[in-house]
Amino acid sequence: MSSSLIRRASDHGQRRLPFDVQNVGLAGLLLVAPGVVLFLSFMLFPIAFLVYLSFTDATHAGTVIGGEASVVGFDNYVSLFTDPQFWRSFGITWLFLAISLAIKVVLGIGIAMVLTHARVVGKRYMRALVIVPMGFPAIFVITVWDGMFSGARYGPLNQLVATYNSVVSGLVGALDSLLFFVALSAPDILLADIPISWLSGRWSAFFAYITTEVWLAYPFMVIIIVSALQDVPMDLHDAAKVDGAGYVHRFFHVTLPSIKRPVLFASILTAATSFQQFLIPFIFNRGGPSRQNELLILYGYREAIDLNEYAFASAIMVTAIAFIGMFMWLAVKKGKLAEGIDS
Amino acid sequence: MSLLNRYTSSVGRWTVRKLTWPRRVAESARTTVEQVRTGRRSVTDVAKTGLGTAGAFAMMLILLFPVYWVFAASLSQGAGLMSTDGIFADPTTYNLDAYRWVLFESNFAHALGNSIIVVSITVAVSMSVIIPGAYALSRRKFLGRRGILYGYVLFTQVGAGLSIATLIALYALFVNFGLDNNLLVLGVFYAAGAIPFNTWLLKTFMDNIPVSYEEAAVIDGASQLQVIREVILPLSKPGIAVVLVFTFLAGWNEFIIAQTLLQSHNYTLSVELYSLIAGGSYETPWTEFSAFAILFALPVAVIYFLAQSYVESGLSFGGMEG
Repeated sequence: MSSSLIRRASDHGQRRLPFDVQNVGLAGLLLVAPGVVLFLSFMLFPIAFLVYLSFTDATHAGTVIGGEASVVGFDNYVSLFTDPQFWRSFGITWLFLAISLAIKVVLGIGIAMVLTHARVVGKRYMRALVIVPMGFPAIFVITVWDGMFSGARYGPLNQLVATYNSVVSGLVGALDSLLFFVALSAPDILLADIPISWLSGRWSAFFAYITTEVWLAYPFMVIIIVSALQDVPMDLHDAAKVDGAGYVHRFFHVTLPSIKRPVLFASILTAATSFQQFLIPFIFNRGGPSRQNELLILYGYREAIDLNEYAFASAIMVTAIAFIGMFMWLAVKKGKLAEGIDS
Repeated sequence: MSLLNRYTSSVGRWTVRKLTWPRRVAESARTTVEQVRTGRRSVTDVAKTGLGTAGAFAMMLILLFPVYWVFAASLSQGAGLMSTDGIFADPTTYNLDAYRWVLFESNFAHALGNSIIVVSITVAVSMSVIIPGAYALSRRKFLGRRGILYGYVLFTQVGAGLSIATLIALYALFVNFGLDNNLLVLGVFYAAGAIPFNTWLLKTFMDNIPVSYEEAAVIDGASQLQVIREVILPLSKPGIAVVLVFTFLAGWNEFIIAQTLLQSHNYTLSVELYSLIAGGSYETPWTEFSAFAILFALPVAVIYFLAQSYVESGLSFGGMEG
């Protein structure tokens, strides 16, 4: 009787003791610790430091350490949320995210459907080629697109616009010679005024950002959607065909529901990337013209590095990190992240 | 040696398969003609397929136009890239002058040296923590395992921009401690950033090694250490190779942090590339830029696609194919 009591007591103790030596797995912890520590020291520690900085009045990098900065409480956040530049940057970031995401999804589904279509020969080669942009470094892709959007008279896109202009003029000219009794000339509204300085106008620069962002991300979307499309059972299509469903009807009632989940998950991930986009505006025109296109992270970066407003910039970055955290929560909630972990 | 032989022969087979496609196209064209002649396939059916393929082909041409442009530009030194027929220049005027300029007159060689220093540090540091970490996460039970995995996956898939958000704090710290403009620190920093994704990748790879191999080794009297050395590591070689590629790319491709921390004599290739288009000169030298960009990006693109099958399986984690 007493032995069973001891056993019961020790069982109870074991249950109470969360740090049982056998369950801690010391060897495993020791093996994984260097990586975790190294990662956290370059990630979690700076985040904590960032939060601290955002409550001080540090101005440039030299004042950050050494007691020159004093704690000022929430002043930085107050001035941040009353700064029109913050709201402009915040708005343009979400607009950038929304428009590029919409185009990415539509384009991704379009390309994936073409590259899985029965009427296309050589699909495998095309699928291998279409994801080529994924292999290039981001800095390469973005600087090349910077070249494409060159504002010079003979920049690649300006040349394409020039070709378009001459086609329009040519068509109108042909129409003019047919209708000999009226004098026609190409209406100005159809002709583009070249050379276009793509990166000097607010919306043309924004358009350039979107184009580049879409080009950077479409291979990822295409890979995911192609593999989702290949999993759509042919039986479903055949059954729908027998029921007399047309192409559009089948797309909305068979294809779309079966690829909805992967597309949703890919959208969350690529939206998170767009929200954190920094390189495109930085390289194209540093968020110009006149700070109108400063995406959030670039806004924070410039306030710190270019304008020496460290504490203020830290408040921006902490706000951005809060939103990134929201994306993480969303990815956990909507995706099946945990499945790979438990397996 | 046998591994190398196996690798070259499989690459050889792959190349032959990719290069003989005209023969297969001719073959299938002949079959199609035969089928139409004998009435097994209607002409409209063939026309529809032809039209669909042509449409897909046109789509590919539009999508990959920037790739064409950068290649054409790199070959058009002095041939009027920025002129009326610039984008579709006459191929007979193509020349390699821009490449000669990059290799012998620009800072390419110096920046390449810097890049190699940074990348070697990144690879060495990250591999030395990734391999043990991946093994522990795959084979050991320990406190906080789930939490660490969760954090790694989250960071991998969502938080890449966090490193820029934290950059300003790190920059301030580095400046205060005099650690900016230091290739060694930069390499370690990249290594830290590469840990989550690559540990996860190698861990999923090790998960696929059957536990029975280890059990057999233990029954034969192998110690824990011997099991790791004789069973786990040799069987993980392909996974380790892929992780090697990715940590290499992490150091090679990165631009933002290098650009913020380094001064001109320490520029890595990516920063040097950027300084070509932001070099203060009124007109960007696009031909030289293109040649530089290709020499910078093409080797890594080739390496990347050699590891492509692994990339795709890497993308499928987290139930994305669901």
